[in-house]
Amino acid sequence: MAFESCFDIIGPIMVGPSSSHTAGVVSIGKFAHDYMGGPPEKVEIVFYDSFAETYRGHGTDQAIVGGLLGMGADDTRIRYALEEAHRRKVKIRFRLEESCPFYDHPNTVLVWAERGGEIFTVGGVSLGGGLSRIFMLDGSTVDLLYGTVDAWSLRNNRRKPLNPAPARS
Amino acid sequence: MKIRSMEELLQRCEERGKSIGEVMLEFEVNKSDRNREEVLGRMKERLVKMKEAVDHGTVDRSAAPSDISGGDACRLGQYRKESRPLSGDFIADAMRLAFATSEHNARMGVIVATPTAGSAGVLPGCLFSLHDNAGYSFEKLVMGLMTASAVGYIVANRSFVSGAAGGCQAEVGSAVSMAAAAIVELRGGTPVQAVHAAAISLKSMLGLVCDPVAGLVEVPCIKRNAIGTAIAFSSADIAMAGVESRIPCDEVIDAMYDIGKNMPRTLRETALGGLAVTPTGQNVKDRLFNNREQQTCSSGSSNRREVET
Repeated sequence: MAFESCFDIIGPIMVGPSSSHTAGVVSIGKFAHDYMGGPPEKVEIVFYDSFAETYRGHGTDQAIVGGLLGMGADDTRIRYALEEAHRRKVKIRFRLEESCPFYDHPNTVLVWAERGGEIFTVGGVSLGGGLSRIFMLDGSTVDLLYGTVDAWSLRNNRRKPLNPAPARS
Repeated sequence: MKIRSMEELLQRCEERGKSIGEVMLEFEVNKSDRNREEVLGRMKERLVKMKEAVDHGTVDRSAAPSDISGGDACRLGQYRKESRPLSGDFIADAMRLAFATSEHNARMGVIVATPTAGSAGVLPGCLFSLHDNAGYSFEKLVMGLMTASAVGYIVANRSFVSGAAGGCQAEVGSAVSMAAAAIVELRGGTPVQAVHAAAISLKSMLGLVCDPVAGLVEVPCIKRNAIGTAIAFSSADIAMAGVESRIPCDEVIDAMYDIGKNMPRTLRETALGGLAVTPTGQNVKDRLFNNREQQTCSSGSSNRREVET
């Protein structure tokens, strides 16, 4: 039961054109950005299967890079993310492969990123509707469900929102 | 607490004497620790974003960056002004507004995924057509979104909602079934009728492949969103007339899953089959990506390509 809420179905609010190939990918990139504590200096991105075939039409390349730079799914700057990365002198390399050896899904991406002399690896899969799953983190298998930034709260650690609603009588 | 099937959903509606939309609202309130007003407020925020996308799309005549879509919402608007559409007011406007949203999406405008961006035109098309033609308030439309989300929630968890996973039947198909159920509840139909409408509409989408030209969410996606609204309205009418789906809705969803699993990879959003590989489709792809293709160099395997930026 990956989809838990009515807002997983009605939402996210996002820039087009594709929830699985754009919005879900932004959140994988954003996850990596937050995990590293900022944007990478150098990054290699591997697109598999459907991502590898259609990334240009969907702006999947702009989406992952936008996320890595810290943008959210509804950020209208996403369409210029590659230019922005170039401006910030982030070195980017894309690799396209047919199927992912680590996870069986057509919308899979692996990110090898370097920041502050450290290497981070993040494997993500975009499940559709803007929802994504991080399945690999620095070589270990994980299972973190991740919505877009406009979700109630990050669901991976099931933490409560910082400002809970006042108790109702 | 989870809702795994339409049968379970209907059982809950019956036990509580409530609509599907109300049951989903109750479900969300229990799950999220937010109160009713907060959940409805958040849903309304999304409805307003949908309206913004519709409003942009109905007046924007410009083409998408690809130059293969754009301006059709305006064409339908003009036609609607000048003649009486054969498909009637509700469907004609729903199609126009679906065009508006999907064209806005193709221009990388802000939209609300319902359940995905590729299928984001169907629900706003149907809902704002009800608003324009029959005066449904935003509060009512928000409840329509709750109904739609219940259907989408079950489809998404039982099957899939993305074209890459299960073809267009999964993507526009799920949006159409969500819209059909929402229309029935907004028109005062019963939860049982709403679920039949969902089943009937999804059945007519079964087998539809995802074959976007050049991988863009434009051709044929935008028109499938528009036509999807017509299927949603007709299914709603059929169900409210008392016609039932002979195959229960849960089984239709399972059949959709089965068909999607058996669908070849070329027809699941890889742009390697169907309309994408017609001569015209290929021409579009060559025109759009010719320049950038030169950056692509092949490495050892033919399936591996590397791109430097």
